[in-house]
Amino acid sequence: MARLLDRGLEQLTVMVYKSGEIAKNAINLSISAFMNSKDVMDDVHDLSDVISSMTLEIENKAFELIVKYQPVASDLRIINSYMKIAYDFERYGRYAWDISFTHKKLGGLGECAVASDLMPKLVEKVSEMVSKSVKALREHDAELAKTLADTENEVDELYFSYLNQLSTARAQNKCVMCNLLVSRCLERIADHTTYVGEAIVYIATSEKISLR
Amino acid sequence: MKIPIWPRKSTDKAEEQTVEEAVLTSEKMQSINLNAWFSDKHVLKNITLPVKANSVTAIIGPSGCGKSTLIRCFNRMHELVPNSKMSGKVLLDGKNIYASDVDPVLIRRRVGMVFQKPNPFPTMSIYNNVAAGLKLTGAKKGRNLDEVVERSLKQATLWDEVKGDLKKSGTSISGGQQQRLCIARAISLKPEVILMDEPCSALDPIATAKIEELIVSLKRDYTVVIVTHNMQQAARVSDFTAFLYLGELMEYDGTDSIFEDPKNELTEKYITGKFG
Repeated sequence: MARLLDRGLEQLTVMVYKSGEIAKNAINLSISAFMNSKDVMDDVHDLSDVISSMTLEIENKAFELIVKYQPVASDLRIINSYMKIAYDFERYGRYAWDISFTHKKLGGLGECAVASDLMPKLVEKVSEMVSKSVKALREHDAELAKTLADTENEVDELYFSYLNQLSTARAQNKCVMCNLLVSRCLERIADHTTYVGEAIVYIATSEKISLR
Repeated sequence: MKIPIWPRKSTDKAEEQTVEEAVLTSEKMQSINLNAWFSDKHVLKNITLPVKANSVTAIIGPSGCGKSTLIRCFNRMHELVPNSKMSGKVLLDGKNIYASDVDPVLIRRRVGMVFQKPNPFPTMSIYNNVAAGLKLTGAKKGRNLDEVVERSLKQATLWDEVKGDLKKSGTSISGGQQQRLCIARAISLKPEVILMDEPCSALDPIATAKIEELIVSLKRDYTVVIVTHNMQQAARVSDFTAFLYLGELMEYDGTDSIFEDPKNELTEKYITGKFG
């Protein structure tokens, strides 16, 4: 017979998965618009707001389950981790909005006279990490989550190489400023995917590891 | 394996405490390959369990798993049940309490017991309930007795509530107070270990909270073993938890580990309410 807690856990799980999908969409929308010089700031802002509201709902639901059922062991690990993951998804949304805001104010990659090939690589890696984090969450796949660590190292390398490139650019124009800010957001998103990965590993194995 | 039958008068040298046992038992108590039976029913199977000094150890498990029998073996109360049997050892400070030269009455004094239902002596006053054990043993008299009664009631956090009513009947106070009175009665004999068999199961949440606070404070001076069906209670008050299932010890670990990351699948299922 299903426990009363199971119904609540199912609801919480659906909410977290949904939040993850919306966060993934927000990031994909903002970075694709940035690469192709499209203004999507309002749309991404709306998505970011939805994720923030969902984070609050997830937190409330988690508290309700704790108060009602005093969960322990794997139940407690799931609830605790979902609260953390919901916050990370909120950050995904916020950084997606920051990217679209920066693009609107300073222009996208397409407007740069000489574009580096590092930015598309950074975008690709971060996009891959976001998708992977959401997939690992859906499947509670600790092994997939652990692979985020390697990609995160690659992102860091790309980010610092790009910073060096930008810092030696002759013209301190809007393009440089924009790319600095966007690459910083991408690097932070990559960090948050590893936090999500750590939480997934904790749910699946109870191991507390660092993926950074 | 030959199963000893009560009353057991073993002269087997192998039953006596060995040096290795004494070294091994930095714990206050320890059962080693403990088995127990009610007639032919084998209710405890090779239980080897440490009980660390000045800590609270919780015994959890579904009904009928042997929790109460286990703690009743810890102070030789199991043998009082007709047709009961046991084998194995229970060490107290490294000495087997079932050795042939050990007086069970003395063991029960060193290892006190508090039961599920508060059971103050109904015809005795609050004062006499606490003093009864000491009077019986002739250990204390007069002013000394007053001091012990007061100290025991204070340790049981009951003194302030009953100090003006010591002559009233032990059953005139609330259920929670009666349970603390029983704890005071156990404490008065200065036991080293206190066994508690579901001490809060008959109490309301307020009385339960008081007993739980008391249990945590008692470990400063005593070693406590508590049997409970309440998972949250085990998590709140104990330092170590043992999970029993069908008479076997499935898992023993620090309470935090048991409730966050149990290693045994059955423990996980039991504490999360997936069976039991």
